[in-house]
Amino acid sequence: MDKISESITRIDHTPKITGAAMYVADYPTVGVLFGKLLYSSKPRARLLDVIVPELPEGYLVVDRNDVPGENSVHIVLDDTPVFACETVEYIGEPILMVVGPDEKEVLRIVNAIKIVYEELPAILSMRESDVVFFNYEFGKGELDKSFSEADKIYEEEFRTGRQEHAYLETQGMIAEPHDGRMTVHGSIQCPYYIQRAVAKALGYDAGSVQIRQDVTGGAFGGKEAFPSILACQTAVAAHKAGRPVRVVFDREEDMEYTSKRHPSLCTYRVAVKDGMVTAMDIDVIYDAGAYTTLTPVVLQRGIICSTGVYNIVNLHVHGRAVKTNTVPSGAFRGFGGPQTFFAIEMMMQHIAKDMGIDSITFKQKHLAVLGDQTSTGGRYHFPVPIPVMIEEVDKVCDFRRKYKEYSKPQTGRYLRGIGMSLYFHGAGFTGSGERDFIKAVARIHKTADGTVHILTANTDMGQGLKTTFTKIIAKELDLPYNRIIIENPDTDFVPDSGPTVASRSLMIVGELLRRAAARLSVEWKDGEDQIIEEHFQEPDFLVPFSLEDFHGDAYPTYAWAVAAVETEVDTVTGLSNVLGTYGSFDVGTPIDMNIVVGQMEGGLMQGIGYAFMEQISADAKGRIRNNKLSDYIIPTSMDVPNLEVIIHVEKYPLGPYGAKGAGELAVVGVPAAYVEAMEMALGTKIDHIPFTAEDTMKVLQEVVNK
Amino acid sequence: MVNSYLAGSLKEALEIRARETVRPYGGGTDLMIEGAEDAVYLFIGKIPELKQIIVDDTYIRIGAECTFTEIIDNDLIPEMLKNACSGIGGPAIRNLGTVGGNIANGSPKADSALIFFVTDSMLRLVSTRGERLLPVREFYLGKKKTALQSDELIAEVLLPRADYKNYYYKKIGARNAQAISRVSFAGLMTFSDGRIASCATAFGSVSDVIIRRDDIDAIMTGKTIAEASAAKSAYIAAYDEAIIPISGRISAEYRKAVCMNLLVDFLESNGI
Amino acid sequence: MKFILNGTEVEYTGALNARLLDVLRDEYRLTGVKCGCREGECGSCSVIMDGILTNSCLVAMGRAEGSTIVTIEGYSNTERFRALDKAYADVSAVQCGFCIPGMILASECILAKNPHPTEAEIRVGISGNLCRCTGYNAIVHAIDIAAKEGSGLW
Repeated sequence: MDKISESITRIDHTPKITGAAMYVADYPTVGVLFGKLLYSSKPRARLLDVIVPELPEGYLVVDRNDVPGENSVHIVLDDTPVFACETVEYIGEPILMVVGPDEKEVLRIVNAIKIVYEELPAILSMRESDVVFFNYEFGKGELDKSFSEADKIYEEEFRTGRQEHAYLETQGMIAEPHDGRMTVHGSIQCPYYIQRAVAKALGYDAGSVQIRQDVTGGAFGGKEAFPSILACQTAVAAHKAGRPVRVVFDREEDMEYTSKRHPSLCTYRVAVKDGMVTAMDIDVIYDAGAYTTLTPVVLQRGIICSTGVYNIVNLHVHGRAVKTNTVPSGAFRGFGGPQTFFAIEMMMQHIAKDMGIDSITFKQKHLAVLGDQTSTGGRYHFPVPIPVMIEEVDKVCDFRRKYKEYSKPQTGRYLRGIGMSLYFHGAGFTGSGERDFIKAVARIHKTADGTVHILTANTDMGQGLKTTFTKIIAKELDLPYNRIIIENPDTDFVPDSGPTVASRSLMIVGELLRRAAARLSVEWKDGEDQIIEEHFQEPDFLVPFSLEDFHGDAYPTYAWAVAAVETEVDTVTGLSNVLGTYGSFDVGTPIDMNIVVGQMEGGLMQGIGYAFMEQISADAKGRIRNNKLSDYIIPTSMDVPNLEVIIHVEKYPLGPYGAKGAGELAVVGVPAAYVEAMEMALGTKIDHIPFTAEDTMKVLQEVVNK
Repeated sequence: MVNSYLAGSLKEALEIRARETVRPYGGGTDLMIEGAEDAVYLFIGKIPELKQIIVDDTYIRIGAECTFTEIIDNDLIPEMLKNACSGIGGPAIRNLGTVGGNIANGSPKADSALIFFVTDSMLRLVSTRGERLLPVREFYLGKKKTALQSDELIAEVLLPRADYKNYYYKKIGARNAQAISRVSFAGLMTFSDGRIASCATAFGSVSDVIIRRDDIDAIMTGKTIAEASAAKSAYIAAYDEAIIPISGRISAEYRKAVCMNLLVDFLESNGI
Repeated sequence: MKFILNGTEVEYTGALNARLLDVLRDEYRLTGVKCGCREGECGSCSVIMDGILTNSCLVAMGRAEGSTIVTIEGYSNTERFRALDKAYADVSAVQCGFCIPGMILASECILAKNPHPTEAEIRVGISGNLCRCTGYNAIVHAIDIAAKEGSGLW
């Protein structure tokens, strides 16, 4: 193990474990007004009237008429309103905010306000929608020829459901107007995203808006773009009130009205000749919900990943994101990848089964290798360690022996299965975003006393960034950790090093910090105040990515994974018991082993939830019914007691000490491993997740009824 | 604003209960999920007379304010009831939640109530007017409706002393802990001289009220294993007709399938 | 009514139907007690009441009359806490931290009742505390380490 991988006590361990850490809801509320949003109860309607009762002194209503700047939240496109305008487009669209000194009174007023709607027809399902927000298409090779020459053509549709982040700390924001500026702090991932959004909504220049991250209790992408909306609403309210305003979501409103993972419909048409896949024609539909928010980028990543870890030379991919009158979908760990990775892995698995070959052998015949073209005509510039990682997982869970044994017909009350899934996560922002939009700048400031301050916009939301950044500086400058300071980012003090997304922070910004520290190491002058800045430079080896042509290196490198899940189904109850979840992960050099293992374990667990436990149920009008943690089922400590992670290291030369993006990888491919296990146990074909206990029982009943 | 009431003794509690409109508050784990701002509670969770576990000639008497943890930790409690209580919520819920609350809630999902149904337990209800014994089955009147009078409290659950060693209990939830029951089943069977001396079953979470059909269970009484096996299909058919699950977010089909599977498994585990 | 909060007797004059969680956070400024769900499902609000693990979001103040309440703020001054603190730090069990005060108190309650728990017993002991970051392995491992290395403390 590299020295840097040796684990240390996390930099932010003590305030969190003693309860001293200040999350947004922990700030004193003296002199702060409480804000509560009133949400649309209709999936689509014209707003005819808003009837507000007489308000007691000190209470006010804030709506679109109070937005001093533009009533739109800057995300990618700017179609999300700060407050609803003439129409509401989903159950949960914020219409107004009530603000006042007593929280209970604010809630009473919200409940007393009457909205007069003229209901309009709403589209609630992807299949019914004809509003296409985004449409991408790309391909290569000779598709038609391959299909005409095929021995057999397979066609199948796969579906994935919504997934809710269920971070333990709900969304929250506090906006404080002062001296012609607006300061907003809260539970966030991307301070500069919010700064731009709030400035636009208030009609301020960016320098008049200060955004600060508070200690954040989990995010997983759910606090990437959504907080921009809440921040605009809270800032507008604070601007109108002339006083600080605080909005902290309760669990129900957070679960019902904040962004979720895009549901998907993927259709694969695959040509097979002489036992090999020769071509794929892939159609991907993502449900964007009512507004576009991050959907274009999620869809881009999803379709880029649609051929998985395989080298598919003849290819056509068509991706669409459609509008439905549901809560806008957004970022969630994996960011579009999990949906298509489920589909491609299941497709390969089904073809193998049909051909009578074990899926591992079949998949391995198609694996991409170093030098192969990626789906979008880029290249795998670095080794693809999947074959070795398959052996690692095989060893740790006796995969091949169990696969053979469980593949035989089973009788008895308990049925077993085991499945494996191969996947990657493209490390870094998709395409040329890093070069053209983000243009990251990282800074270190050494004060005269020899203390080094790390200045980036990247946020620690539990993934250990404060610790890993500190370790990089410490190593490069040979400093003890207590001489290095890293605060929660504040836009008044840190440069824009880009958002904390796409598993880019350590790989891109960490490397900028390392270079800055390396420079400081050479230029160090005792007793002097020094500032070193590093700017992102796109690696030379990249085939530049063009969004228009949808061609090039979508990512500089990839983090790789092999996951296996073993299950046992109780035919009496339909319940499945996860006997073991295993994964081998290559995220380059771990900058801290415990931190990386912790990320992989957490990601695997979320993947298990996504596979079968976590289901968002909506009624006929699209209203989410399970809006509580008692009802939206995430794993407890007793659900997956056997969880094992192997760290496989393939160093990435352009990442700090060889590190690559790590945060998202683990969750991306887990469901296909679980579903393959369930297919084996039940002797059936499965095409959707979550594959619940009810789904299992339906299959069992069909067998019984035969 | 009317405040809530603290009661140091059962007598004091009953006097307040008779006089005021209050919600009896034991562990609070149900009441506080709503936590209504204007709720007027009568706090009875610490009253010593309601927290005893005693065995007399006929019953194991469980104080209504005994928490699930206290029940699990007590040697006088049969394994079957401990098992059911162990599956409720998580440790913190079990530490506060009480059997009295579990029953008074009137929910067919109540895990401990299922055991009280299958064991044909009694409830001792008390008020300033006196006390009465009521079979737990008669306490449940329909969906979340109970026979508890507005001046009454549940003082004790009376679990008949019997042989509960040969029990079958299964709770189907959405995960391995902190799971509200989607289907639950309890079965008891005793034998004497090669014949079934008693057979009792109860199905929870599938209907508005826990299903207890001792008339159907009577099919098994007095039979040898061979005779019982012969009667098995009639027995199952009778339950197939009797169990009409309500549909909620979990489908009626799923609940029905699991109920019948558990019933069959219960029989088969007894050699039938 | 009176109760003992982190070792000090306090007098509470507010509504008896108020939630203990809200009173601890708003009145006594003990913000280490977190609110994650308000329905007793996540365990972030865990406190130790009369020696047992409870969800403070499900406790009305009347129920706490005469009780001894310990929050993370009170517990973090103890030697047992230091053993858990070290164990959690060694395995990097603290990620976002939101579940952690609850997990620490749950850890204490496991070890107070059972100083040498098996892994299965540890998992039951924290089964009422939800964590979305860690996948639970590190936390389970930390409690196991504290039990072994904190020998004699429990």
